[in-house]
Amino acid sequence: MDDLSNKKGIGNLDDPRMPFDYSKREYGTVPTDTKRAPFQWVSEVAYKNVHRIVARGYDTTELMEEGYGVPEVLFVDFQARMPLIEEAKMLNYVMILALEDGLSMPAMMSRIVAQSKTFLTQACGASILAFGHAYGAYSSFGNRLEDYLKRGKDEGKTLREIAELLVKENLHDESLGVSCLMLEDPAAKRMIARAEKLGIAGEYVTFMKEIVAAAQKISAEPVDIDMLGATGATMMDLGFSPEATWAILACTRAFAAGAHYIEEIERGNYTRLGQTLTPKEFYDGPEECKVPSLDDRARNAKPAQTYTPDEWKKAFEERKKIFGSGFSIIEEIEDPSKKTGIKKVGH
Amino acid sequence: MDRNPLFQRKTAISFKTEKKTVMRGYDLSELAEEEYSFCDALFILFQNRIPTENEEKMLNYEMGVFIEHSMSPSAVAAIGVATGRPNLPCSIAASITTFGGVHGPGAAHGYMLNKYIERAYQEGKTLDEMAKILVDEYLDNKKPVMGMGQPQHIDSDPRAEPIHIKQEELGVGGVYLEFQRAVEKYFHARREKDGQSYVGVNVVGSGNTALCDIGFAPNAAWCIGSVCRGFSCSAHALFNMKKGRAWGASRQEPMVQMIDLSMIKYIGPEDRRVPKQSERQEYARKQKEEGEYKKWMI
Repeated sequence: MDDLSNKKGIGNLDDPRMPFDYSKREYGTVPTDTKRAPFQWVSEVAYKNVHRIVARGYDTTELMEEGYGVPEVLFVDFQARMPLIEEAKMLNYVMILALEDGLSMPAMMSRIVAQSKTFLTQACGASILAFGHAYGAYSSFGNRLEDYLKRGKDEGKTLREIAELLVKENLHDESLGVSCLMLEDPAAKRMIARAEKLGIAGEYVTFMKEIVAAAQKISAEPVDIDMLGATGATMMDLGFSPEATWAILACTRAFAAGAHYIEEIERGNYTRLGQTLTPKEFYDGPEECKVPSLDDRARNAKPAQTYTPDEWKKAFEERKKIFGSGFSIIEEIEDPSKKTGIKKVGH
Repeated sequence: MDRNPLFQRKTAISFKTEKKTVMRGYDLSELAEEEYSFCDALFILFQNRIPTENEEKMLNYEMGVFIEHSMSPSAVAAIGVATGRPNLPCSIAASITTFGGVHGPGAAHGYMLNKYIERAYQEGKTLDEMAKILVDEYLDNKKPVMGMGQPQHIDSDPRAEPIHIKQEELGVGGVYLEFQRAVEKYFHARREKDGQSYVGVNVVGSGNTALCDIGFAPNAAWCIGSVCRGFSCSAHALFNMKKGRAWGASRQEPMVQMIDLSMIKYIGPEDRRVPKQSERQEYARKQKEEGEYKKWMI
């Protein structure tokens, strides 16, 4: 091994502002921690051994042998319970409606990935990434419903009052669940009717109806419940959390994304690197110009540094004019987990 | 609101208007209203037909047993991604994309069956004869026979034989089941003859056989298997997001975490001095000439 003892004089690492002495940093890995329990894959969802796979206590092969099916397994995995027959029927209904949506974003993403000669699973996985907080926004939608319902209870407001508040504060949000998208398509309203017929409709469907009424009152254009609103409210009345709903429905669509992958390959050709052109008519950036000589760099370069808030603000506003720079986007990247940490080992 | 298509494509799968979404000719809402099952819809999606009752039952059974598999590469990927706390779909996508040439290789199994059944047809051999040829060719070439063996369920996958039996019970066994059974027979016989331990059929070997016999193409079957695993992987990711520790390295947890520093075992080159830029060219030349680095190349 090299002599590693004299480690002074490497770049800035002797700078006194360093939080510790960099020349004395230890080599080698960290010894096994014997004071704590060894690592294991901790799960409340499922386990398996050589002869069994068990989800929430139920042997999955025995579940199937007893005649249960896909909807029941989803209830077991996500809610740790066996659903009522009506609940399983309702989930089945929802999943059929969620299966296919024409050439919408998940199908497009699947087809684009397919064009690069990939595995089918890459395309299906990519399709799931289409589900965000605008398209298939079941997490945003559901969490908003939960937040406002809690707010209503905390503030002693009626369901109608809290629905009106929700709509006032979120009328133009993509995840409201009310829009102009389903004015002529009865599928969303039929889903709600089915939920009511099966006795599934509860607090969330009722709240959703109030939200629709509140939106119709103040919207400048005709609006009604859309698929996000109907599906999201129904799934939550089935007991699924907003995140579970998001997951189940994104996965459901990925089956159809697989069919789109297959069709893309069956009908078309693959795309090579550099093949796709972008017509100049699409371009609205700076005019074409000569690349200056590197010798003239100092004359042409524009430093980014600003030194006062005023300068910073002015530069920031200028940068916002550059599409693709990212300065026009203001967002907060939140920890979506709400709560983390297991404070016990085992039961 | 702009509702124009984002993508110009001819498609035989579906269309969507302001009034309805139609898949393979059927209004989706009508399918649900008529109380077809989700599995029925998958037949329509991939095969453009309504299945028999027993075919639907077979698919439901296969998907039901396949959804949850506790800690497999797919669940581990979902959990690993979830520890960084991205949006949940990233975890699900990661889990589905773990399905490749080894983990749940449904398409590979289907293509293998199709290739050898085609050969039986072309060469005028029985399925039984061709199954022996398949096994011998794969094992002679030291290639794994798709659908056999599972690293955790060493006495045979607990889902596998029940799927075969269910297929027989439902009367949906066809050319694929007969061929797969014959492959298993010759595979076991060959391993026994070679003095090797027993390796059972896995869930791809049996489940994919059933999917083939009920009319799914290799990639469609693979899609069904890998995507339905996405359901349970999202549950595992959610459990981690809601009840587990972000990052998976906290020293505050009573159990050593997944990427605690002590979990790292290093077996690479010994610790070494970073050369000065003034020595760099000579150092690099010598390193290249000695070639010891090749031992570590990946």
